[in-house]
Amino acid sequence: MRKKPKNITGSSLFATLRISLLISVLFIVGLLLLGSMFGGTFGTPHKLTLDFIGPLQSTVTRVTSGITAFKNDYVALWNVRAENKRLQALVDKYLTELGEYREGYSSYLHLEELLEFKEKQDFNPLMARVVGKEPVYWYQTIVVDRGESDDVLEGMIALTPHGVVGQVIHTGENYCKILLANAPSSAIDAMIQKNRIRGILKGVGEKGYVLHYVQKNVDVSVGDHIVTAGIGGVFPAGIPLGKVSVVHKKRRGMFQEIEVTPDVDFQKLEFVFIDPTDRRKILRDMVQPIER
Amino acid sequence: MLLFSFWVLGIALIVAQTTLLQFFPLWTGRPDFVFILVAFTGYRFAWIPGIILAFTLGWVMDIVAGIHLGFYPLLCLLTFTALKVLTSNSPVKESTYQIPLVGGSYFLIQMFYYFVYSLVLPEVLPEWSWSATTQRTALVVISAVPLFLLFNSLFEYVQKRRMQSKPPRRRQR
Repeated sequence: MRKKPKNITGSSLFATLRISLLISVLFIVGLLLLGSMFGGTFGTPHKLTLDFIGPLQSTVTRVTSGITAFKNDYVALWNVRAENKRLQALVDKYLTELGEYREGYSSYLHLEELLEFKEKQDFNPLMARVVGKEPVYWYQTIVVDRGESDDVLEGMIALTPHGVVGQVIHTGENYCKILLANAPSSAIDAMIQKNRIRGILKGVGEKGYVLHYVQKNVDVSVGDHIVTAGIGGVFPAGIPLGKVSVVHKKRRGMFQEIEVTPDVDFQKLEFVFIDPTDRRKILRDMVQPIER
Repeated sequence: MLLFSFWVLGIALIVAQTTLLQFFPLWTGRPDFVFILVAFTGYRFAWIPGIILAFTLGWVMDIVAGIHLGFYPLLCLLTFTALKVLTSNSPVKESTYQIPLVGGSYFLIQMFYYFVYSLVLPEVLPEWSWSATTQRTALVVISAVPLFLLFNSLFEYVQKRRMQSKPPRRRQR
């Protein structure tokens, strides 16, 4: 006797189940459809469906919005970048102009100060431009563009509105060399303005000046003004030299050591005024009657 | 031609030192270019052109910046002579001692300068400072490196041109 294969039996059972399931689903769908068409209420199945679909919709919408916004920002950035470049160029241009105007204004103030100084003087000062400065450590000299052709002679003094610059030591036809007041070889008769006590102001190079031969019992404080004493006929009296910065009173010795900060900034000299008074002639005239 | 080229270069360095360098702030230092050039002439130039170059450049610098005339040319001549004597027929390779010797000679020259002034014009002297002197010497040594490259290039260029302009020697039969 031939046995029926088991496969054929299993497959017919499976087919039956499938058909049953299909009918059940169609029946439920039909009921729901009838219920929603004719019922009119948003029932539980509807709500469940909505709550299921909603998050999916929300996720997709958010992603899409993000991509759209990113795209819009990227495109907009191009315009912003171009606008930024244009504005930056304008800013640079205005900054350059501002710098020029500032320099022009500063020069104007400086020249006004020089003119005011020139007009105040009882001598006719000769304005000279600084063209060269001494490069090494030992000397402190400058070269200016006035010389013998402008009646500049050795011994004439150089000033600025701030105070003493120095003295002419060598002259050429069109240029002369000025020994700065802060040179180590410079020594000026000076006095403390408040009490008229005299001393000798010696240059110490870049550090400024030191006032020597002021006795220890003299009242000197930081900030006191030091001016020319007018003794010796080289520098007229009362021209500013500097301000006291440090006072040293050592245990030994008769004198105190006074450091003075120059009023004139020797590093920034651009213009100086040369007093055309021949100081050496004055000195010679002073000496001659004594010799007679 | 060699002497003239280096003389023009020396004048240019003097002008640069007295004008351009002054615009830099103090703390950057101001190296002595002319001294470095004089040291170079001591290594490379013969006696007569070297003396002429050292003296004329020192003289110009003295006029532009010096107070007691004559001192700076003297220092330049001393530097040239000392370096010339030391380095002539030296068994040591030149590149080994060139730059250090510039620094050493600059340091000694400053001491010599201070010593002479302390004898002749002591009231003129600024306060001696070992740190400032050492700092200036270091600045000269650092500046000497690129300057020596420049000077060497110019020297070799002028020498080459001079060789090219000379007619070739005929062979004697």
